[in-house]
Amino acid sequence: MAFCTGCSLLCDDIEVDFQGGKIKKTMNLCRKGHAHYDSLGVDRLAPAVDGSSVGIDEAVSAAAEVLAGAENVLLFGWGNSTLAAQGAGVKLAKKLGCVIDDPSSYSQGLITEKILAGDFPTCTFDDVRNFADVSIYWGDDPSSSHPRHMSRFSYFPRGEKRQRGYEEDREAIVIDVRKSPTAQIAADGFFKILPGGDGEFMEALMATLGGKIPKVEDKKKMLNLGTKLRKAKFGVIFTGPGLAHSLGGDLAGFASLVGRLNELTRFSVIPSLSDYNSRGFNQTLFDKTGHVNGVSFKNGVDHGPEFGIAKYLDACDAVMVVGSDPAAVLPGTLAKKLAKVPMVAVNSFKNLTTDIAKVTVPTAVAGLEVGGSALRADGLRVEFDAFVESDYLPDVEVVERMMEAV
Amino acid sequence: MAGKAEVTVITYRGIFQEVEEALGMYSEGYRDQSALVVLDKGEVKELGVEDGQPVILENGFGKVVVTAKLSEDPHPGVAFMPSSPWSAQLASGEVGEDGILDLKRFRAQVSKANEAVTTIEEIGERIRAA
Repeated sequence: MAFCTGCSLLCDDIEVDFQGGKIKKTMNLCRKGHAHYDSLGVDRLAPAVDGSSVGIDEAVSAAAEVLAGAENVLLFGWGNSTLAAQGAGVKLAKKLGCVIDDPSSYSQGLITEKILAGDFPTCTFDDVRNFADVSIYWGDDPSSSHPRHMSRFSYFPRGEKRQRGYEEDREAIVIDVRKSPTAQIAADGFFKILPGGDGEFMEALMATLGGKIPKVEDKKKMLNLGTKLRKAKFGVIFTGPGLAHSLGGDLAGFASLVGRLNELTRFSVIPSLSDYNSRGFNQTLFDKTGHVNGVSFKNGVDHGPEFGIAKYLDACDAVMVVGSDPAAVLPGTLAKKLAKVPMVAVNSFKNLTTDIAKVTVPTAVAGLEVGGSALRADGLRVEFDAFVESDYLPDVEVVERMMEAV
Repeated sequence: MAGKAEVTVITYRGIFQEVEEALGMYSEGYRDQSALVVLDKGEVKELGVEDGQPVILENGFGKVVVTAKLSEDPHPGVAFMPSSPWSAQLASGEVGEDGILDLKRFRAQVSKANEAVTTIEEIGERIRAA
């Protein structure tokens, strides 16, 4: 049985006949996972310094020089790294007395932190498959981002207490600004909201749950939703980036809604995270510092938005990006700031960030070329083995060698 | 009649874009799935924009040329765009007090283009030229 690190579902039931770098036959691999396997031979990163090819040892030494020669270093990325590499990354940050952060600092970090802190109840995907009768996808489109989410866990499968699956036993509710592929599956369970209208929808839903008439156009549909949620035996809210960005840092309304739902019945929250081990980084840093992102080790442990990449780019004088592509994701104005900072890029593949890096250090693709462990988006720890042989270094070895060199 | 329309752009991730990204973000396939904007057909009729034609999206943060996809479902005032290096050029770099960036929603003007779709290499050059 093979393993897929193509997204944070970390599917462990994959069968693949892989010959000559190509898939000949496969079972259970989704379209995205198929591309993940096919990517092994595409745009692989090579060790380089200032655009010139060097050996891997020279690249690691040059990377260590960049980090050791700076006063305000930012170690960023980590969502596509193994737990071992993430742990080594936190140790490196401590050793350098620098800042460590991941993309959750400008996205879903606050929600994840509340889950890890126990403020939001959560559960595993297996609990969802076996017991959940209502799944709410809020600003979340798993049909696109996590293609087997609904078929393995949240809507279509038959579970221990959900033998009649989506036909009779499960409800899918989608709250989104667009009729996404997931919304099309939910059909009548789709609630289209205006851009930025999440807070307003929450207020209307809270009013409904409180027995009041909601101030929305389609009152009947909202009242029916309230009834469904009240009658749910086990509900789950899957939070997507659409919700996180709409709410910004103000989770009070969402927290009130989750609290109210749990007074009425049982509702859990699971974030839909994109990189395969985003949850692993958040958990690793949380265990060490009590925070999921944006931590400075300069004077003990400091945390705050000023240590997230979006703000810290103004202060840092060296960056190491591991398994991430902030130059492609950050607003152009911030990507330009990133390009001005001496940068080390550690990655398996070329991307816009590796293109602007002073030093590039290639790594093996975890789950395919090297084994390791990771946390699924629901927090479940999974172990995986290498699937094909590779000469690339494991990510943890690269980080540990840098730690020795600095 | 040529002109400009003001829209709120909402970004999203699509399965086929994710596939093409995994297969190489410098590929034509990735550009085809990423450098596009879904516009309300009725709304952009006056701009002379047709399905599959390039359009300019611009605001105070940047400018890109992407392919227009015209949707039959009405969504006046709102356009949808895959979250990508193209959309990132138009996103606000302003950081909220909480550190969160608004990568999902921004305002932009759309107009008919007489130039080719922006390539990812051009975006890379813009970033490097800073």
